[in-house]
Amino acid sequence: MGRICLWGSGLVVIAILLVIIGLLVVRGGGVISWEFLTSTPKGLYLGMEGGIFPAIIGTVSLVAIATLTAAIPALLTAIYLVEYGKASPLAHVINFVIQAMIGIPSILIGLFGYACFVVTLGLGISLLSGGLTLAIMILPTLVVLMRDALQAVNDDYRLLGESLGVSRRYLLQKIILPVASPHLLSSILLAMGYAAGATAPIMVTAAVVMSRGSVSLLNPVMALPFHLYILFSQHISLERAYGTAVVLVLILLALNLFSLYLRNRYGKRVAFYD
Amino acid sequence: MACDRKDIVLKWCGKVCAIGSVLVLLSLYVFIAGESLPIWWDAGILPLLLGKEWQPLGESPQFGFFTMLVSTLWSSLGAMLIAAPLGICCGIFLAEYAPGWLSAVIRTVLHILTGIPSVVYGFLGASVIVPWYERVLGVPSGESLFCASLVLSIMVVPYIVSGTYAAFKAIPLTYREAGYVLGVSKLYITTRILTPLAGRSMVSAVTLAFGRAAGETMAVLMLAGNTLTLPLTWFSKGEPLSALIALEIGTAGIGSRQYQALFAAGLVLLLFVSSINFAIYYCNSRGRS
Repeated sequence: MGRICLWGSGLVVIAILLVIIGLLVVRGGGVISWEFLTSTPKGLYLGMEGGIFPAIIGTVSLVAIATLTAAIPALLTAIYLVEYGKASPLAHVINFVIQAMIGIPSILIGLFGYACFVVTLGLGISLLSGGLTLAIMILPTLVVLMRDALQAVNDDYRLLGESLGVSRRYLLQKIILPVASPHLLSSILLAMGYAAGATAPIMVTAAVVMSRGSVSLLNPVMALPFHLYILFSQHISLERAYGTAVVLVLILLALNLFSLYLRNRYGKRVAFYD
Repeated sequence: MACDRKDIVLKWCGKVCAIGSVLVLLSLYVFIAGESLPIWWDAGILPLLLGKEWQPLGESPQFGFFTMLVSTLWSSLGAMLIAAPLGICCGIFLAEYAPGWLSAVIRTVLHILTGIPSVVYGFLGASVIVPWYERVLGVPSGESLFCASLVLSIMVVPYIVSGTYAAFKAIPLTYREAGYVLGVSKLYITTRILTPLAGRSMVSAVTLAFGRAAGETMAVLMLAGNTLTLPLTWFSKGEPLSALIALEIGTAGIGSRQYQALFAAGLVLLLFVSSINFAIYYCNSRGRS
């Protein structure tokens, strides 16, 4: 009896993923075409016909801004935590705050972004507001992932460096960062996936149903997850909603699996997931 | 260790970034609390928390979160009811029973499941589970807290599995060997020896998942039905706090009473989820020392 429960639970988890993928492929696979990927939404209610090109561009720009903003501070913070501040009280405080912030619901990050960027700084509903909000959302995750990446580097390198009398900066630049780089890249990819799929934060800071013209920092943008939400909740087109979901999931799957590959291929320990 | 000028620069850059990140994250609390302060002051804490009426646009607007609080609790506790047994069983299975290749497959599957965004879960739930629920129960509209819980449970199961798995892997082999020497069955070892040892970590994994479920937005927004009546059963419709914020913040006039009330709702959710996280952090650091 107990054994059946245990095996059953494992199989249920596999079945869930198979059902999700099956549904997406069967119902959304047919919608995907070159035209769907490269044209703008059209039709009586926008989105009934046409494609999702502006939404893809919007999501890519949002993720790019978020990653560019968050990656450098996150790396420097991780370097401080691992190499310089190791056991200092400040490092303890920082670790504690970062850890606590990871669990904050994304809608609250959105609420903060709305109050801070959209209202107080007057950036309005825009690509920039959304990108910065997403940057704040992925920052704690990035710090933790990068900290672990640096910690995973064999301590012998540090001891060797110390015995040779080189500075920490030199050791970091020549040994530790190159050794950790696949792991660091893997963290960035994971964070990009997290940002690309987030809906609640951009819903209140950046996304619109339809954007015309070119992408610019201070204009609102379309985004894949928000487009999916609108297509479904406004009953515009179930078929196209499935198509959008397939594109979104494929992008995220590519990011996640590549990240997992990098970590397993180059990491010492076999990765679970985060 | 040697220290050149660049070293000092790097160290200070790191320190500044670290403190900066913490300040940015702390300002989240400040902003959400600050924007909602006037309404806490004017309306009072208890009327806001226990008021059952939410009518932001009436002649005399009323703001009470009680209905949404109850919806949040129904959907997230309900999700735990489904996810906890499934996740714990699966974690134990991965750590103790599954052959190596199957364990690797399931861990990859869980990794992929965590990578699927919540809006896709919400969408699939609303377009597949809801119609199915309507057919089985013969009700006209199937959006309900139960459906929201069902989808939330799939979303949080990976966290419970990973916590349970790590807890079991952390138990030294000696305990299992001692069991085998005494000739008891593997199932007995797992349930009577290992499970109590891993209990604390499993509780914290489930609590963590509970916090995630309580703050989740898109899935509940698309599944819970979004009505403002007090949900009396698991199968009623409801509107959790997160859904309320997502639905109304875009149309609330900046600085209006409704705007302040929505930030107050955000503060309630923030304190709720944060206290869960602090409790876990406290338990874990005490357990380690």
